[in-house]
Amino acid sequence: MKQIKLKIVTPEKILLQEEVAQISVSTALGQITILPNHLPLVSKLVSGEIIVKKIADPEHSRGNNHKEDLMAVSGGFIEVLPDQVVILADTAERAEEIDEARAEEAIKKAEELRKEKIVDAEQFALFTAQIEKELARLKVARKYKRQRTNPGIKIE
Amino acid sequence: MELVAASKMRKAVARVLASRAYSDLTWATVLHLCQKLDTSRHPFFRPDKDAKNIAIILISSNRGLCGSFNVNLVKKVVDSIRVHHPNSKITDIVSCGTKGRDEARRHRLNLIADFPKDDITISTEAIRPISHLITREFLAGKYDKVFVAFTDFQSAISQVPHVQQLLPIVPKIDERLGHIIHEKNKSEEINVDSFADFLFEPSTRALLDAFLPRLLEVQIYQTVLESEASEHSARMFAMRNASDAAADMINELTLAYNQARQAGITSEIAEIASGSAAVEAG
Repeated sequence: MKQIKLKIVTPEKILLQEEVAQISVSTALGQITILPNHLPLVSKLVSGEIIVKKIADPEHSRGNNHKEDLMAVSGGFIEVLPDQVVILADTAERAEEIDEARAEEAIKKAEELRKEKIVDAEQFALFTAQIEKELARLKVARKYKRQRTNPGIKIE
Repeated sequence: MELVAASKMRKAVARVLASRAYSDLTWATVLHLCQKLDTSRHPFFRPDKDAKNIAIILISSNRGLCGSFNVNLVKKVVDSIRVHHPNSKITDIVSCGTKGRDEARRHRLNLIADFPKDDITISTEAIRPISHLITREFLAGKYDKVFVAFTDFQSAISQVPHVQQLLPIVPKIDERLGHIIHEKNKSEEINVDSFADFLFEPSTRALLDAFLPRLLEVQIYQTVLESEASEHSARMFAMRNASDAAADMINELTLAYNQARQAGITSEIAEIASGSAAVEAG
Protein backbone atom coordinates (compact mmCIF):
# COMPACT_ATOMS: atom_id res chain seq x y z
CA MET A 1 0.00 0.00 0.00
CA LYS A 2 1.23 3.41 -0.89
CA GLN A 3 2.19 5.65 1.99
CA ILE A 4 2.84 9.35 2.42
CA LYS A 5 6.11 10.82 3.53
CA LEU A 6 5.07 13.26 6.24
CA LYS A 7 7.14 15.95 7.88
CA ILE A 8 5.80 18.11 10.70
CA VAL A 9 8.18 20.87 11.64
CA THR A 10 7.99 23.82 14.00
CA PRO A 11 10.59 26.56 14.39
CA GLU A 12 11.87 24.71 17.45
CA LYS A 13 12.14 21.18 16.19
CA ILE A 14 11.12 18.48 13.76
CA LEU A 15 8.14 16.92 15.50
CA LEU A 16 7.54 14.05 13.17
CA GLN A 17 9.15 12.59 10.09
CA GLU A 18 7.86 9.27 8.88
CA GLU A 19 5.71 7.32 6.44
CA VAL A 20 2.02 7.45 7.20
CA ALA A 21 -1.22 6.20 5.67
CA GLN A 22 -3.37 9.31 6.09
CA ILE A 23 -3.38 12.75 7.67
CA SER A 24 -6.31 14.85 8.88
CA VAL A 25 -5.80 18.55 9.53
CA SER A 26 -7.99 21.61 10.09
CA THR A 27 -7.44 24.16 7.36
CA ALA A 28 -8.92 27.62 7.03
CA LEU A 29 -11.70 26.10 4.90
CA GLY A 30 -12.46 23.17 7.17
CA GLN A 31 -11.08 19.81 8.06
CA ILE A 32 -9.44 17.82 5.29
CA THR A 33 -7.95 14.38 5.12
CA ILE A 34 -5.05 13.62 2.88
CA LEU A 35 -4.58 10.19 1.41
CA PRO A 36 -1.78 9.03 -0.88
CA ASN A 37 -1.82 10.52 -4.41
CA HIS A 38 -3.50 13.69 -3.24
CA LEU A 39 -3.41 16.63 -5.61
CA PRO A 40 -0.66 19.15 -4.85
CA LEU A 41 -2.06 21.64 -2.39
CA VAL A 42 -0.98 24.55 -0.28
CA SER A 43 -3.28 25.65 2.49
CA LYS A 44 -3.38 27.57 5.72
CA LEU A 45 -3.89 25.72 8.97
CA VAL A 46 -5.94 26.95 11.91
CA SER A 47 -5.62 25.94 15.54
CA GLY A 48 -6.81 22.39 15.87
CA GLU A 49 -5.79 18.80 15.82
CA ILE A 50 -3.73 16.74 13.47
CA ILE A 51 -4.64 13.09 13.26
CA VAL A 52 -2.03 10.90 11.68
CA LYS A 53 -2.88 7.32 10.86
CA LYS A 54 -0.05 4.89 10.51
CA ILE A 55 -0.03 1.28 9.51
CA ALA A 56 0.85 -0.52 12.70
CA ASP A 57 1.92 -3.77 11.13
CA PRO A 58 2.71 -3.73 7.41
CA GLU A 59 2.63 -7.54 7.21
CA HIS A 60 -1.08 -7.78 7.96
CA SER A 61 -3.09 -5.47 5.81
CA ARG A 62 -6.49 -6.84 6.80
CA GLY A 63 -8.77 -5.44 9.47
CA ASN A 64 -8.22 -2.36 11.54
CA ASN A 65 -4.50 -2.23 11.41
CA HIS A 66 -4.11 1.47 12.00
CA LYS A 67 -2.39 3.33 14.75
CA GLU A 68 -3.44 6.89 15.43
CA ASP A 69 -1.25 9.75 16.49
CA LEU A 70 -2.87 12.87 17.87
CA MET A 71 -1.25 16.27 17.81
CA ALA A 72 -2.34 19.80 18.63
CA VAL A 73 -1.27 22.57 16.31
CA SER A 74 -1.71 26.32 16.60
CA GLY A 75 -1.85 27.45 13.04
CA GLY A 76 0.62 27.17 10.21
CA PHE A 77 0.68 25.86 6.67
CA ILE A 78 0.38 22.57 4.93
CA GLU A 79 2.00 21.78 1.63
CA VAL A 80 1.09 18.63 -0.21
CA LEU A 81 3.59 17.67 -2.89
CA PRO A 82 3.52 14.57 -5.08
CA ASP A 83 6.23 12.89 -3.08
CA GLN A 84 5.72 14.31 0.39
CA VAL A 85 3.55 16.31 2.76
CA VAL A 86 5.05 19.12 4.77
CA ILE A 87 3.30 20.74 7.70
CA LEU A 88 4.85 24.01 8.82
CA ALA A 89 3.33 24.56 12.24
CA ASP A 90 3.73 27.62 14.43
CA THR A 91 3.68 25.34 17.42
CA ALA A 92 2.80 21.68 17.60
CA GLU A 93 2.64 19.16 20.38
CA ARG A 94 1.93 15.49 20.69
CA ALA A 95 -1.23 14.68 22.61
CA GLU A 96 0.65 12.76 25.27
CA GLU A 97 2.86 15.76 25.99
CA ILE A 98 0.04 18.20 26.68
CA ASP A 99 -0.63 19.03 30.30
CA GLU A 100 -4.42 19.25 30.58
CA ALA A 101 -4.50 21.24 33.80
CA ARG A 102 -2.10 23.80 32.47
CA ALA A 103 -4.00 24.17 29.23
CA GLU A 104 -7.19 24.87 31.21
CA GLU A 105 -5.39 27.42 33.29
CA ALA A 106 -4.02 29.12 30.22
CA ILE A 107 -7.52 29.40 28.75
CA LYS A 108 -8.83 31.02 31.91
CA LYS A 109 -5.97 33.44 32.04
CA ALA A 110 -6.34 34.43 28.41
CA GLU A 111 -10.09 34.90 28.81
CA GLU A 112 -9.60 37.12 31.82
CA LEU A 113 -6.99 39.14 30.00
CA ARG A 114 -9.30 39.51 27.07
CA LYS A 115 -12.03 40.83 29.33
CA GLU A 116 -9.89 43.17 31.34
CA LYS A 117 -7.25 44.52 29.10
CA ILE A 118 -8.88 45.18 25.79
CA VAL A 119 -7.01 48.06 24.33
CA ASP A 120 -7.36 47.61 20.61
CA ALA A 121 -8.56 45.17 18.02
CA GLU A 122 -5.13 43.73 17.53
CA GLN A 123 -4.79 42.67 21.14
CA PHE A 124 -8.27 41.22 21.12
CA ALA A 125 -7.33 39.12 18.13
CA LEU A 126 -4.15 38.06 19.86
CA PHE A 127 -5.97 36.85 22.98
CA THR A 128 -8.62 35.15 20.91
CA ALA A 129 -5.97 33.33 18.95
CA GLN A 130 -4.37 32.29 22.20
CA ILE A 131 -7.63 30.95 23.56
CA GLU A 132 -8.27 29.06 20.35
CA LYS A 133 -4.84 27.54 20.51
CA GLU A 134 -5.26 26.42 24.11
CA LEU A 135 -8.74 25.06 23.40
CA ALA A 136 -7.32 22.99 20.60
CA ARG A 137 -4.63 21.67 22.90
CA LEU A 138 -7.17 20.81 25.56
CA LYS A 139 -9.41 19.04 23.09
CA VAL A 140 -6.56 16.95 21.79
CA ALA A 141 -5.38 16.10 25.29
CA ARG A 142 -8.86 14.97 26.36
CA LYS A 143 -9.41 12.96 23.23
CA TYR A 144 -6.13 11.22 23.77
CA LYS A 145 -7.06 10.40 27.35
CA ARG A 146 -10.44 9.00 26.31
CA GLN A 147 -8.87 6.88 23.64
CA ARG A 148 -6.38 5.48 26.05
CA THR A 149 -8.92 4.58 28.71
CA ASN A 150 -11.44 3.30 26.17
CA PRO A 151 -9.53 1.87 23.26
CA GLY A 152 -12.53 -0.08 21.94
CA ILE A 153 -14.61 2.99 21.19
CA LYS A 154 -13.85 4.92 18.07
CA ILE A 155 -14.48 8.58 18.48
CA GLU A 156 -14.78 9.79 14.94
CA MET B 1 34.17 31.44 31.45
CA GLU B 2 35.28 29.38 28.54
CA LEU B 3 33.27 26.48 29.91
CA VAL B 4 30.21 28.65 30.48
CA ALA B 5 30.40 29.94 26.92
CA ALA B 6 30.95 26.41 25.65
CA SER B 7 27.81 25.08 27.30
CA LYS B 8 25.77 28.06 26.06
CA MET B 9 27.17 27.50 22.62
CA ARG B 10 26.09 23.88 22.59
CA LYS B 11 22.53 24.88 23.42
CA ALA B 12 22.49 27.67 20.86
CA VAL B 13 23.87 25.41 18.17
CA ALA B 14 21.24 22.79 18.91
CA ARG B 15 18.55 25.45 18.47
CA VAL B 16 20.01 26.67 15.19
CA LEU B 17 20.15 23.20 13.76
CA ALA B 18 16.61 22.44 14.91
CA SER B 19 15.12 25.52 13.30
CA ARG B 20 17.07 25.20 10.06
CA ALA B 21 14.73 22.45 8.94
CA TYR B 22 11.75 24.74 9.41
CA SER B 23 13.26 27.70 7.62
CA ASP B 24 14.49 25.48 4.80
CA LEU B 25 11.03 24.05 4.30
CA THR B 26 9.46 27.48 4.49
CA TRP B 27 11.77 28.62 1.74
CA ALA B 28 11.02 25.53 -0.29
CA THR B 29 7.30 26.27 -0.04
CA VAL B 30 7.81 29.87 -1.10
CA LEU B 31 9.85 28.73 -4.06
CA HIS B 32 7.08 26.35 -5.09
CA LEU B 33 4.53 29.11 -4.73
CA CYS B 34 6.64 31.49 -6.77
CA GLN B 35 6.98 29.04 -9.59
CA LYS B 36 3.26 28.54 -9.78
CA LEU B 37 2.04 32.05 -9.19
CA ASP B 38 2.40 35.42 -10.72
CA THR B 39 4.03 37.18 -7.83
CA SER B 40 5.03 40.34 -9.63
CA ARG B 41 2.02 42.24 -8.40
CA HIS B 42 2.39 41.38 -4.77
CA PRO B 43 3.94 44.26 -2.82
CA PHE B 44 6.51 42.01 -1.19
CA PHE B 45 7.94 41.23 -4.60
CA ARG B 46 8.34 44.79 -5.77
CA PRO B 47 10.74 44.66 -8.71
CA ASP B 48 14.30 45.79 -8.15
CA LYS B 49 14.78 49.39 -8.95
CA ASP B 50 17.38 51.88 -7.96
CA ALA B 51 17.42 51.48 -4.21
CA LYS B 52 17.36 54.95 -2.76
CA ASN B 53 16.21 54.19 0.74
CA ILE B 54 17.39 51.15 2.57
CA ALA B 55 17.04 49.75 6.04
CA ILE B 56 19.35 47.30 7.74
CA ILE B 57 18.43 45.18 10.72
CA LEU B 58 21.55 44.74 12.79
CA ILE B 59 21.57 41.64 14.92
CA SER B 60 24.40 41.68 17.42
CA SER B 61 24.99 40.65 21.01
CA ASN B 62 24.12 42.19 24.35
CA ARG B 63 27.41 41.42 25.98
CA GLY B 64 31.01 41.96 25.13
CA LEU B 65 34.03 39.76 25.77
CA CYS B 66 33.46 37.94 22.53
CA GLY B 67 36.45 39.06 20.53
CA SER B 68 35.78 41.03 17.39
CA PHE B 69 32.27 39.63 16.95
CA ASN B 70 30.34 42.90 17.00
CA VAL B 71 33.12 45.03 15.54
CA ASN B 72 33.38 42.77 12.50
CA LEU B 73 29.65 42.80 11.96
CA VAL B 74 29.35 46.57 11.99
CA LYS B 75 32.42 46.89 9.82
CA LYS B 76 30.76 44.57 7.32
CA VAL B 77 27.62 46.72 7.40
CA VAL B 78 29.57 49.92 6.83
CA ASP B 79 31.50 48.31 3.99
CA SER B 80 28.43 46.95 2.30
CA ILE B 81 26.69 50.31 2.49
CA ARG B 82 29.70 51.93 0.89
CA VAL B 83 30.11 49.32 -1.82
CA HIS B 84 26.52 48.53 -2.77
CA HIS B 85 24.61 51.67 -1.93
CA PRO B 86 26.86 54.67 -2.31
CA ASN B 87 23.95 56.75 -3.64
CA SER B 88 21.29 55.78 -1.17
CA LYS B 89 19.57 58.73 0.44
CA ILE B 90 18.43 57.12 3.63
CA THR B 91 20.28 54.31 5.33
CA ASP B 92 18.50 53.46 8.52
CA ILE B 93 19.59 50.94 11.08
CA VAL B 94 17.25 48.91 13.24
CA SER B 95 19.35 47.37 15.96
CA CYS B 96 18.77 44.30 18.05
CA GLY B 97 21.45 43.86 20.69
CA THR B 98 23.11 46.66 22.67
CA LYS B 99 26.71 46.15 21.57
CA GLY B 100 25.83 46.46 17.92
CA ARG B 101 23.81 49.56 18.69
CA ASP B 102 26.75 51.23 20.44
CA GLU B 103 29.11 50.22 17.69
CA ALA B 104 26.73 51.56 15.02
CA ARG B 105 26.47 54.83 16.90
CA ARG B 106 30.24 55.11 16.92
CA HIS B 107 30.19 54.80 13.14
CA ARG B 108 27.54 57.54 12.98
CA LEU B 109 24.97 55.30 11.36
CA ASN B 110 21.41 56.49 11.49
CA LEU B 111 19.59 54.46 14.15
CA ILE B 112 15.82 54.58 13.95
CA ALA B 113 14.82 51.83 16.36
CA ASP B 114 16.41 49.64 18.95
CA PHE B 115 14.83 46.39 20.01
CA PRO B 116 15.90 44.67 23.20
CA LYS B 117 17.40 41.30 22.49
CA ASP B 118 16.74 38.36 24.76
CA ASP B 119 19.76 36.41 25.84
CA ILE B 120 18.02 33.29 24.64
CA THR B 121 15.48 33.76 21.89
CA ILE B 122 12.88 31.11 22.52
CA SER B 123 10.19 31.66 19.94
CA THR B 124 9.36 33.63 16.85
CA GLU B 125 7.08 35.81 18.95
CA ALA B 126 10.11 37.72 20.17
CA ILE B 127 10.82 38.64 16.56
CA ARG B 128 7.33 39.82 15.72
CA PRO B 129 7.81 43.50 16.69
CA ILE B 130 10.83 43.80 14.41
CA SER B 131 9.21 42.17 11.42
CA HIS B 132 6.06 44.17 12.06
CA LEU B 133 7.91 47.47 11.93
CA ILE B 134 9.90 46.52 8.87
CA THR B 135 6.87 45.22 6.99
CA ARG B 136 4.87 48.34 7.76
CA GLU B 137 7.58 50.72 6.65
CA PHE B 138 8.35 48.69 3.56
CA LEU B 139 4.72 48.49 2.46
CA ALA B 140 4.33 52.20 3.14
CA GLY B 141 7.10 52.74 0.63
CA LYS B 142 9.59 54.26 3.02
CA TYR B 143 12.26 51.75 2.08
CA ASP B 144 13.13 50.25 -1.27
CA LYS B 145 15.17 47.47 0.21
CA VAL B 146 15.52 45.89 3.60
CA PHE B 147 18.55 43.93 4.68
CA VAL B 148 19.47 41.96 7.72
CA ALA B 149 23.02 41.93 9.06
CA PHE B 150 23.95 38.95 11.15
CA THR B 151 26.77 36.56 11.82
CA ASP B 152 26.36 33.31 10.00
CA PHE B 153 27.23 30.28 12.07
CA GLN B 154 29.18 27.94 9.85
CA SER B 155 31.01 25.94 12.45
CA ALA B 156 32.35 26.36 15.96
CA ILE B 157 35.51 27.92 14.60
CA SER B 158 34.13 29.84 11.64
CA GLN B 159 31.51 32.58 11.84
CA VAL B 160 31.09 35.01 9.00
CA PRO B 161 29.37 38.39 9.23
CA HIS B 162 26.86 38.65 6.43
CA VAL B 163 24.38 41.15 5.05
CA GLN B 164 21.38 39.63 3.36
CA GLN B 165 18.42 41.04 1.52
CA LEU B 166 15.07 40.45 3.19
CA LEU B 167 12.74 42.60 1.15
CA PRO B 168 11.73 42.64 -1.61
CA ILE B 169 11.71 38.88 -1.60
CA VAL B 170 13.94 37.40 -4.24
CA PRO B 171 12.56 34.00 -5.13
CA LYS B 172 15.84 32.24 -5.43
CA ILE B 173 17.84 30.28 -2.96
CA ASP B 174 20.14 32.20 -0.72
CA GLU B 175 23.36 30.46 -0.09
CA ARG B 176 23.83 31.49 3.51
CA LEU B 177 20.68 30.61 5.39
CA GLY B 178 19.74 27.03 4.88
CA HIS B 179 22.75 25.18 3.64
CA ILE B 180 20.81 22.02 3.12
CA ILE B 181 18.41 23.37 0.57
CA HIS B 182 21.23 24.69 -1.52
CA GLU B 183 22.51 21.24 -2.25
CA LYS B 184 19.29 19.60 -3.27
CA ASN B 185 17.95 22.54 -5.19
CA LYS B 186 18.37 21.04 -8.65
CA SER B 187 16.43 17.88 -8.06
CA GLU B 188 13.58 19.84 -6.49
CA GLU B 189 13.19 22.13 -9.44
CA ILE B 190 12.57 19.24 -11.78
CA ASN B 191 10.07 17.90 -9.33
CA VAL B 192 8.02 21.05 -9.30
CA ASP B 193 7.89 21.36 -13.04
CA SER B 194 6.45 17.91 -13.47
CA PHE B 195 3.00 18.79 -12.16
CA ALA B 196 0.79 21.57 -13.31
CA ASP B 197 -2.22 21.49 -11.02
CA PHE B 198 -1.72 23.04 -7.68
CA LEU B 199 -4.55 23.82 -5.32
CA PHE B 200 -4.34 26.95 -3.22
CA GLU B 201 -6.70 27.40 -0.34
CA PRO B 202 -8.34 29.72 0.58
CA SER B 203 -6.98 31.75 -2.36
CA THR B 204 -3.58 32.44 -3.78
CA ARG B 205 -3.61 36.04 -2.63
CA ALA B 206 -4.78 35.21 0.89
CA LEU B 207 -2.19 32.49 1.10
CA LEU B 208 0.63 34.78 0.06
CA ASP B 209 -0.60 37.45 2.45
CA ALA B 210 -0.45 34.99 5.30
CA PHE B 211 2.66 33.20 4.23
CA LEU B 212 5.05 36.00 3.39
CA PRO B 213 4.99 37.79 6.76
CA ARG B 214 5.57 34.39 8.29
CA LEU B 215 8.51 33.82 5.99
CA LEU B 216 9.96 37.15 7.05
CA GLU B 217 9.57 36.30 10.71
CA VAL B 218 11.14 32.93 10.24
CA GLN B 219 14.05 34.41 8.36
CA ILE B 220 14.76 36.99 11.03
CA TYR B 221 14.32 34.36 13.70
CA GLN B 222 16.83 32.16 11.94
CA THR B 223 19.35 34.99 11.64
CA VAL B 224 18.95 35.73 15.35
CA LEU B 225 19.62 32.11 16.20
CA GLU B 226 22.61 32.00 13.89
CA SER B 227 23.94 35.14 15.53
CA GLU B 228 23.44 33.70 18.98
CA ALA B 229 25.29 30.53 18.15
CA SER B 230 28.06 32.60 16.57
CA GLU B 231 28.23 34.89 19.56
CA HIS B 232 28.71 32.06 22.01
CA SER B 233 31.32 30.35 19.83
CA ALA B 234 33.15 33.64 19.40
CA ARG B 235 33.05 34.16 23.14
CA MET B 236 34.25 30.65 23.79
CA PHE B 237 37.28 31.25 21.59
CA ALA B 238 37.92 34.67 23.04
CA MET B 239 37.85 33.13 26.50
CA ARG B 240 40.07 30.25 25.46
CA ASN B 241 42.58 32.71 24.02
CA ALA B 242 42.40 34.71 27.22
CA SER B 243 43.00 31.59 29.33
CA ASP B 244 45.91 30.56 27.13
CA ALA B 245 47.42 34.03 27.25
CA ALA B 246 47.02 34.09 31.03
CA ALA B 247 48.70 30.69 31.33
CA ASP B 248 51.62 31.91 29.21
CA MET B 249 51.90 35.01 31.31
CA ILE B 250 51.86 32.98 34.52
CA ASN B 251 54.69 30.83 33.15
CA GLU B 252 56.75 33.86 32.24
CA LEU B 253 56.12 35.55 35.55
CA THR B 254 56.94 32.40 37.51
CA LEU B 255 60.19 32.13 35.61
CA ALA B 256 61.02 35.78 36.24
CA TYR B 257 60.14 35.41 39.91
CA ASN B 258 62.27 32.29 40.35
CA GLN B 259 65.18 33.92 38.59
CA ALA B 260 64.93 36.95 40.86
CA ARG B 261 64.64 34.74 43.92
CA GLN B 262 67.64 32.69 42.87
CA ALA B 263 69.63 35.84 42.23
CA GLY B 264 68.68 37.08 45.73
CA ILE B 265 69.77 33.82 47.37
CA THR B 266 73.03 33.77 45.43
CA SER B 267 73.89 37.31 46.42
CA GLU B 268 72.98 36.60 50.07
CA ILE B 269 75.22 33.53 50.14
CA ALA B 270 77.98 35.55 48.56
CA GLU B 271 77.58 38.19 51.27
CA ILE B 272 77.61 35.65 54.07
CA ALA B 273 80.62 33.90 52.56
CA SER B 274 82.51 37.13 52.16
CA GLY B 275 81.49 38.19 55.70
CA SER B 276 82.75 34.96 57.28
CA ALA B 277 85.94 35.17 55.20
CA ALA B 278 86.51 38.67 56.56
CA VAL B 279 85.94 37.45 60.18
CA GLU B 280 88.39 34.54 59.70
CA ALA B 281 90.96 36.88 58.17
CA GLY B 282 90.53 39.33 61.06
